[in-house]
Amino acid sequence: MTAVYGEASWFCCGAAWGPCGSAGGGACGDCSSSRHQHAWPTVSAACTSITNPGACGVSLTQRGCGFVHYVTNLCNGKEVSSAIADCGPNTHLFCGEKTCCGSSCGTNRLIDLTASAFSAIAGLSNGLIPVKINTVA
Amino acid sequence: MTPQVDRRQFLTRAALGGVTIVGATALGSLAPEAAFGAAGPAVAPGGVDPAFAEGRITAIAGSMLLTAGSDGTLNRIQTTSGTSVWKLTPAGLGDVRIGDGLYARGVRMPDGSLAADALWVNIVSLDAHVVSLASDRVHLDHHGSRLVGHVVPNVSAAVYNGTPAVTDLSMVPVGGHVHVVGAWRPDTTEIDVSTVYAKV
Repeated sequence: MTAVYGEASWFCCGAAWGPCGSAGGGACGDCSSSRHQHAWPTVSAACTSITNPGACGVSLTQRGCGFVHYVTNLCNGKEVSSAIADCGPNTHLFCGEKTCCGSSCGTNRLIDLTASAFSAIAGLSNGLIPVKINTVA
Repeated sequence: MTPQVDRRQFLTRAALGGVTIVGATALGSLAPEAAFGAAGPAVAPGGVDPAFAEGRITAIAGSMLLTAGSDGTLNRIQTTSGTSVWKLTPAGLGDVRIGDGLYARGVRMPDGSLAADALWVNIVSLDAHVVSLASDRVHLDHHGSRLVGHVVPNVSAAVYNGTPAVTDLSMVPVGGHVHVVGAWRPDTTEIDVSTVYAKV
């Protein structure tokens, strides 16, 4: 696959506290903030109809639960591998949104990482980071 | 020649009591942004990260935090003067309270405790719908649950269209969707806003 570039955030996944207390196990049933997992906008046809990345002009391959992506933080080059565990983010709600580190930018919300996966490549207080998403390391 | 010690080695030694913390800042910034992601053991995709912990603080014993994970996991989190703490802003261990929620990243020690490199206390990262906006608060809908976001003077900021953060939140789009990073006020449906990411 050709790598895709976009924005990544981190999200409520699995049992948690505070406003995340109502988060469940995600579309795949086993999502947990302590695991290296992520949400992908096209995990199923039903998911795609909700997240609708096509509305932003983005075409993403449909990939199911457990599929592994390699996500690189364009701000520092750090990479984490994680497995699909949920449907999301709602890409169409943020069409055109862009995050940059210098001249390295990611446009459109394409992936939500768990807190453990995100914190392996960025501080959690960074809400959005530009990333490269690939299927190979 | 002085041997090089990276942040991970330093924290491990500090947790074991084998290093004086006087030189902590020689490692660079102690801000959370500088502390994340020190090289750790490889984690299989989908696997549990042993260098990470999540939960609510049930007890504080000196520099040790005892936490109950949301999945029932109990953790002992060892802090050192090299541990960076975020609680709405960069903070100190003295700002941490029983009942706070946290995410921690560090080094898993032989006794099972986690020597903390970074703590993010009460931090939340949410996609939300903006219901209403006032000068001192923003009302949010997060997956059908209402949430009050308090605007904290000189702290809360907005990032519009990826441009540098500003303290003026007046352009946050009412009726639109935003991403919010903030600090939960424990046992409430309220947060203090750190940053609102909005497309306007």
